[in-house]
Amino acid sequence: MTDLTGLGSATILDVDQLVVTYGPRTAVEGVTFQVLRGEIFGLLGPNGAGKTSTLSAIEGLLKPHGGRVRVDQVDIERDPIEAKSRLGVQLQSSSFQAELTIEEIARLYAGLYGLKITRQGIADRIRDVGLGEELGKRFKSLSGGQQQRLSLLIAVIHEPVLLLLDEPTSGLDPQSRRQLWDRIENLRTGGGSILLTTHSMEEAQAVCDRVAVIDHGKLLIVDTPAGLIAKHRNDPRVVKAARGEVTLEDVFIGLTGSEIRG
Amino acid sequence: MANATPAPSATSGMRPGIGLIYGSLLRADFTVLRRSGRTLLLNIAVPILILIIFDLHKGNKPNPLTAGGAGFTIGLALTYGLMASSLMGYSLAVARDRDAGVFQRMRVTPAPTWAIMTSRLVVQIIVDLIMTVIVVIIGGIIYQTAYNPGQYLLLLGVSILGGAMFLAIAQAVVGLIRSVNVVNAVGRILYIVFLLLGLLGASAILGTTVKNISDWSPVGALINLYGGILNLSNWDGTCTNGLIATIGYILIGAFVGIRWFRWETR
Repeated sequence: MTDLTGLGSATILDVDQLVVTYGPRTAVEGVTFQVLRGEIFGLLGPNGAGKTSTLSAIEGLLKPHGGRVRVDQVDIERDPIEAKSRLGVQLQSSSFQAELTIEEIARLYAGLYGLKITRQGIADRIRDVGLGEELGKRFKSLSGGQQQRLSLLIAVIHEPVLLLLDEPTSGLDPQSRRQLWDRIENLRTGGGSILLTTHSMEEAQAVCDRVAVIDHGKLLIVDTPAGLIAKHRNDPRVVKAARGEVTLEDVFIGLTGSEIRG
Repeated sequence: MANATPAPSATSGMRPGIGLIYGSLLRADFTVLRRSGRTLLLNIAVPILILIIFDLHKGNKPNPLTAGGAGFTIGLALTYGLMASSLMGYSLAVARDRDAGVFQRMRVTPAPTWAIMTSRLVVQIIVDLIMTVIVVIIGGIIYQTAYNPGQYLLLLGVSILGGAMFLAIAQAVVGLIRSVNVVNAVGRILYIVFLLLGLLGASAILGTTVKNISDWSPVGALINLYGGILNLSNWDGTCTNGLIATIGYILIGAFVGIRWFRWETR
């Protein structure tokens, strides 16, 4: 198993034969992959492919119909509190209580993760992400980039071993996006692992150590971006999608088709 | 700036204590309620307004609404305070937070789901008790009534029961209905229906059938219960029925509200 950090080989997330169903519809069908310590792992797929359902099962938001999810050796179904205390999560669409200031929000979530942090400690952490001027403001009054920074701060406030990010750059301007990737890289340098979903193949190619392509609820392939490109550069579907040098996006479109999904 | 973000470490993953989790939830929920002018207005202003209006209308000529005396009026005021904050405050706040994804954000933390929900209920019950004390003090001044310590304790006990009943009904509403707008509309409609049923039924101006229905309605049951403990010598079968009905509404509302409640709208 690859050691990406020199901290020793370790699987931080083990998703084994995961099955998620909504009534008669199967959203995730037997998905298996691992995320290693210090790795940035991208989960890619078209709309409705099963990415968010997979993430929801890992986060403990929904009960899988089959399979197993283990976070740092802890089974999320058997011991959700222990598993969730090792996870940091930034959801695709989530919010905080509109009546609370960002300082109060940070204090609340520190408590939910069992951290006793002084008021000064909370303020310092908020200042660290460039929101020192906004301490007394409400979440809704922040800009999109500021909201995203606060969400990320909350997600890592307890220094999780695995950070889950569901389309973290969606709706961000280039500056905010660049700052976010800097932070994610910084988290990885500290020994953390990151599992993210994104629609930006360019970003996935640039930042992910490995990517998994999921479609119609099934895992199509797991490899490094460079490995994927090398393996599929001569695939007729990929050649047809390419407009010059073959990119991860060409491979993605070649593997999942070019029709627009809902 | 980017380098200052706290980095994760392999030392994370310690199981958080429930005391710290619950304390954090209670503090946040208290802050939210304190800043929510609407809930406080419904919780405290409505009952005080009832006390004042009924006081202004007493004495001139026989009035069926004030015939029950001070105990009836204070009980009525307390009942509407409890009902307004639950049906138009609590249910709407839960529906809005669910729609905005506030609950989903909390559910990915180690906080147990029972703690997330009961914290809100506990805070609302505490505010109900504060409202009870304020209304009884103001009612005592207006109507020049005094109760013994046992009755004050019973008042607080009935307020807990009444608060729990209306919160259970409100929970059932957000359990059965996902849309924020529909929850808002249903809360208002229930409020008006209960208000009219309680006022007109209790006064018996629409006849005994409506009064009997009213006695078993949430508002009628609670008014009878308050009336019974504020004038213990008048405790009768109607008051006992009120107690039974209140407990019944709590059980049914809690069952429906827990069984069909969904943490997200999508």
